[in-house]
Amino acid sequence: MTVIHENMEDTGAKMKARDVSVYYGDKKAIDDVSIDISPDYVTAFIGPSGCGKSTFLRCFNRMNDTIPSAKVTGLIELDGEDIHSNAMDVVQLRARVGMVFQKPNPFPKSIYDNIAYGPKIHGLAEKKPDLDAIVEKSLTRAGLWDEVKDRLEDSGTALSGGQQQRLCIARAIAVDPEVILMDEPASALDPIATAKIEELIDELSGRYAIVIVTHSMQQAARVSQRTAFFHLGQIVEYGRTSDIFTNPIEDRTKDYITGRYG
Amino acid sequence: MSPITLILIAIGLGLAGWLAGRAKAWSFQKGNPDARPVARPTYHAWYVAIWIVVPVLAFVTLWSFIAPQLITQSVLASPGAQNLPAFGFERDSWLAEARAVALGNAPGVFNAGAEPLIEPFREAIGRYNLIGVVLTIMIAFAGGTFAFLRIRPDFTARTRVERTVMIVLLLASLVAILTTFGIFASLVFETYRFFSLVSPVDFFFGTFWGPDPMSSADNPDGSRYGAIPLFWGTLFIGAIIAMIVAIPLGLMSAIYLTQYADPRLRQWVKPALEILAGVPTVVYGYFAALTVAPAIRDAAVAIGISSASTESALAAGVVMGVMIIPFVSSMADDSIAAVPSAMRDGSYAMGATKSETIKKVLFPAALPGIVAGIMLAVSRAIGETMIVVMAASTAANLSANPLDRMTTVTVQIVKLLTGEQSTDHPTYLSAFALGFALFLVTLVLNVIALRVVKRFREAYE
Repeated sequence: MTVIHENMEDTGAKMKARDVSVYYGDKKAIDDVSIDISPDYVTAFIGPSGCGKSTFLRCFNRMNDTIPSAKVTGLIELDGEDIHSNAMDVVQLRARVGMVFQKPNPFPKSIYDNIAYGPKIHGLAEKKPDLDAIVEKSLTRAGLWDEVKDRLEDSGTALSGGQQQRLCIARAIAVDPEVILMDEPASALDPIATAKIEELIDELSGRYAIVIVTHSMQQAARVSQRTAFFHLGQIVEYGRTSDIFTNPIEDRTKDYITGRYG
Repeated sequence: MSPITLILIAIGLGLAGWLAGRAKAWSFQKGNPDARPVARPTYHAWYVAIWIVVPVLAFVTLWSFIAPQLITQSVLASPGAQNLPAFGFERDSWLAEARAVALGNAPGVFNAGAEPLIEPFREAIGRYNLIGVVLTIMIAFAGGTFAFLRIRPDFTARTRVERTVMIVLLLASLVAILTTFGIFASLVFETYRFFSLVSPVDFFFGTFWGPDPMSSADNPDGSRYGAIPLFWGTLFIGAIIAMIVAIPLGLMSAIYLTQYADPRLRQWVKPALEILAGVPTVVYGYFAALTVAPAIRDAAVAIGISSASTESALAAGVVMGVMIIPFVSSMADDSIAAVPSAMRDGSYAMGATKSETIKKVLFPAALPGIVAGIMLAVSRAIGETMIVVMAASTAANLSANPLDRMTTVTVQIVKLLTGEQSTDHPTYLSAFALGFALFLVTLVLNVIALRVVKRFREAYE
């Protein structure tokens, strides 16, 4: 089924999925998918619209739980722990596996409160100076500090689209996650804002395991080191990004990346 | 012949005109299949029908005012009218009796003097009925012919028909607006008359309310018209006690229904809650007077308050609070549901629990809508009458004890207007001043609520 390139030689897996299927009601959206997510690299999920890549991404922090009709089967592990086991609290899981959405969704609060939201609910900062430090660090890592440091009390929704998305990334970083899931984070942005997001992903990789869903193949080629090609709810091919784009093994992968469909 | 018959004639003729207009428009298309007429045949048909029905309706309206007068005039000119009493009620009643007999609505006259008037009435009614029908038909034909002759392939019937429809819609909306202005104007006028008798200072700042309908109308005692106890009662029952009940219960039910309830349960509970809003307030009044008020009295007596009465502000306020739960919960429900699901997902993805998400993200984002719902609920509550009439008495007390009897502005208005006062007496006029004050307060609350809702809508678009 899935063609996995032999030469990846990854140092262990941060997250592992084994025989994962997702159903929406009776419809099977993901069909027996298995993959290892490397801790050191950016992994891109590419594929045509409706192939299930976003649905699969949402399995890693159990965001599919919020959709009443969705049902997930199979095994998903974070550092060897089953994320569906009773020992794993979904709140803890989501603190360790953060997420950035397709459309920037800052809360209608101040910039400061947007970042402080996660640390507050998880009790990461005892005192105000600690919180201030987290806010500054997160915004700095997201490359937004210099732009907003003088107006932290302004509403997060007043920022431009690209700034809002970087705010959402900073918000995800603020709770110090181990994995960051990004669901087409630049698809609602203009090319300049997109370039900034891609630059940011580059800087964050290595510190966090990053999984990014994108339907832009150029973006996958630019930001990722590992690529999985999805089609009809399955992973067709998974390997180094350079190999997938230059030496695809499967015909379907080749057809997609050469633009024959999708 | 009644206006109904004339209207039926007009509709029949309108239908005929409709068919004729359509036939003519069809014949254009058949005769010249390549041409593209400006409007479809039905529009030509409606154009003809409108030109028949609208002038006829205008005529019928006018005629129904003019015809009775013409009939009466011709009867008065008849020889039988010589013996009529000169003026006043008697003369009118003779005429009315004779007319009733002539129309077949009464078996015979009571006053023998009306007897000779019956025949002239019959004649006059028959004559003017005939004139009415003939005029109706003539007007219908004139309008119909005019419209029919204008039908041409290049005639823009559609735009004309649509303009007519628009005018009808405009008139419909003007009725409501003009009524509001009319109410406002009558309130202002009567309020002005009241304030020319009683000083506004006495009215707005006096603390004793006890208008005496038996007192002299020309020199009223201003100190009896202090409306503060009424304003306080209204505020205490409608805006304080009722809100203490309605806001928490309404918000909690909205949160449960939007965030926790199973969709199938929500499907049942939400309409059930909204039915509460449709229960007539007088039914709530029974409930308040017969069930809640005695229970509150008994509870008060049980804890040692022997003076508790069966009529209390608390009973009225609590029941009123229950009544407006649906207003609060429905608006809160809508505005919580309107918060984009991206906000909720964003919060969950940060590892927030459901209750943290509701408290820190959904609730603040929905707050403007919730506030607007509360404002509307308050304005509904302070305008409420029946529950207070039945449960809280008409005694105007200025007290902070919820177990006291209290009354509200609306209840006093009812009491003042249903008594037997002369319409010039300040007791009667004070009802308009109270109504005016209430009108202003609810208007301001509604305006604030609408503005808040509007801002809220803009925030997410």
